[in-house]
Amino acid sequence: MHAPVKKNFKDEILNKIYEDNKQLRKNSYRGASKAKQYRRNRHLVKMSTVIMLAVLLTASRFFAFPVFFTEESQLIEIKTAAAIPWSDVVMREAGEVANPVPLLIDTSRDRLLNYSMLLNDERIRVSSVFGLDVRTIVIDPGHGGRDPGAVGSLGTYEKEIVLDIGLRLRTLLAESGRYEIFMTRDSDVFISLADRVKFANDKQADLFISIHVNALPQKNYNLVETFYFGPPEDKHALLLAELENRGSEIKTGDFKRMVEKIGNTMKTQESALLAASIQQNLFANLSRDNKYIFDHGTKTAPFVVLLGVDAPSVLVEMSCISYKGEEINLQKPEYRNRITESIKEGIVSYLEDKHLHIADGESNDQRKNRKEEYRKSG
Amino acid sequence: MTRGKTEKKSTEKVADKPLLVGIDLGTSRSSISADNGKKEWVESYVGWPKDFIARKVVGKSILFGADAVAHRLSLDMYRPLKNGVIKEGTARDEEAVKELISHLVTLVNGNSDNRSIRAVVGVPAESFKVNKIALKKAVSEFAESLMVVSEPFSVAYGVEALDNAMVIDIGAGTVDFCIMHGTVPGEDDQRTVLTAGDYIDQQLYNSLKERYPAADFNLNMIRRFKEEHSFIGENGDKIEVDIPVEGKATRHDITDDLKRACESILPAIVETTIELIARFDPEYQGIIRQNIILAGGGSQIKGLPDHLKKVLGEYGPAGVQAVEDPLFSGSDGALALAKEMPDDYWTDLK
Repeated sequence: MHAPVKKNFKDEILNKIYEDNKQLRKNSYRGASKAKQYRRNRHLVKMSTVIMLAVLLTASRFFAFPVFFTEESQLIEIKTAAAIPWSDVVMREAGEVANPVPLLIDTSRDRLLNYSMLLNDERIRVSSVFGLDVRTIVIDPGHGGRDPGAVGSLGTYEKEIVLDIGLRLRTLLAESGRYEIFMTRDSDVFISLADRVKFANDKQADLFISIHVNALPQKNYNLVETFYFGPPEDKHALLLAELENRGSEIKTGDFKRMVEKIGNTMKTQESALLAASIQQNLFANLSRDNKYIFDHGTKTAPFVVLLGVDAPSVLVEMSCISYKGEEINLQKPEYRNRITESIKEGIVSYLEDKHLHIADGESNDQRKNRKEEYRKSG
Repeated sequence: MTRGKTEKKSTEKVADKPLLVGIDLGTSRSSISADNGKKEWVESYVGWPKDFIARKVVGKSILFGADAVAHRLSLDMYRPLKNGVIKEGTARDEEAVKELISHLVTLVNGNSDNRSIRAVVGVPAESFKVNKIALKKAVSEFAESLMVVSEPFSVAYGVEALDNAMVIDIGAGTVDFCIMHGTVPGEDDQRTVLTAGDYIDQQLYNSLKERYPAADFNLNMIRRFKEEHSFIGENGDKIEVDIPVEGKATRHDITDDLKRACESILPAIVETTIELIARFDPEYQGIIRQNIILAGGGSQIKGLPDHLKKVLGEYGPAGVQAVEDPLFSGSDGALALAKEMPDDYWTDLK
């Protein structure tokens, strides 16, 4: 088919193949010895951890733990709390669902309904106060059509992965029959960010989950992170938002209206809680058998799509397609299923907590008792 | 008497001489070419009977290829090279690769244990070292010495397109791209795209399921339809196939669905081809564009070379041709490498 290749030219090629394979053999041996070394080191780490714990436990018998809360600081807390008119509702600190806010409130004081204070106090979970429920969930697989999103080195498109996971998530969430699920796209089509926002708002979404796959310049790094709207926490978050906001097709007038929503405390609180729940579940699942994935936690970033949607909204960057091993994983349906399950678990735990939270009668009673005790003590 | 002695001597000589084999491990099919003139291929399926009853029914402890597919209901089936690589951490897949290679070698070497084997095995272009190591492990039991090369490189070596050429190997799990420029291609000269033959099957399957909800078919049938009729561009004739509807064979027109499915892999192929060529020395880009070789089962899609030629023609004169024997082009190239590899290199890699 082609002109014969010169002999010395072929010799060079044969020699290179031989050298490559020789190297490969060496590497496999080196790999084996590294594995042994790692196992040995792991034992050492375990042993030193046990010793350190033993030393700490012994020391704690002789030294008292520092007192973090002084009487003064408690007093300040009570003073702030007393200004809040709703004492008999369940309140929790945003972002720490498990720990109720330690407030002792005197309801006999001014009961003027200060809505502004209620709606803007970050420590009160507004959705719980008003018993808001979730019925409509909008899933937003990022990119699509002419916009492939990130492309892995093996040619995997972000738009395909996120669509597949979105469709799986729709099926999983619909199984309960409790929620109405909509998708901004269920095929490979391009939809502008403005249209995604409009779609979610038209459907009167109660939750909005945007699904993306990350891509980093550092090809050997894999991480999970979940965003909700807010000022960027670092340069990476800003760059990512800039990338994802590209070609948003949002008009300046619409943007102004969106900006007015920035102070929406309820949305921010719920978005933060939802983001935390998804992030926690997703990372716990993916890191189970992958030591090289990092938890970058929940972050705020100015994603237009998160700002525009009225409902609590999060953007999940589930892993990094720029990491070749992860790209291979993302190609496997079983792995995508695992990711979907984790996101679903995150959403479900958030929702369960929300329902539990509203029906948290025992906790209310406990607070009432404590309030009585506080009154009696003068 | 004298004649008998001569015969014995020559048999001993053959037995002493290692058997050289070239193997192309593919997602869908694997082939082997040996220097004794034998060539064989097998569908890359390995199946073990599910239980002792299944074993009694199939009459074997392990089945390969079409035999395994035919008895799939009684077997634990493995297609170990999905996406063109050995799936990591799955012992059964590694074992399946081992059995598959062993089976291929037996096909060309009989059950003769007295000849040592020297093998060159082609793996996907961007395969990881860990897969190469897994291959080494899988082959070490029955091969005296082994070398691993990238699949498109072995094709290029077989057709002697070693300088200023590009090989696009369209398999079932992967499309491997490789630019040849007079040396063993490095990482930058190679790409692997995962939208390949299996992707076409899935697209066609989805499309037909939507269009003919009552039709009863599976992926194996879809693969057969694709292999018999695949095309892109314009096809003069209508393509009709028999698909059962409630048990009755019914003619179905699949022309448009098949065209769409086959064309679904084109954007990635075109984009990657252009990108790889554009990265190359500008002085030689034109020559490479005129020296594109299509290999693998996907190279047989009717109209593909012409389509690529037309699209690449927008960038300058282009030449695209398909290999004559896509089934064995990889293993033949690997065998050519094995034959030309100096003896001391083999000995050193024992």
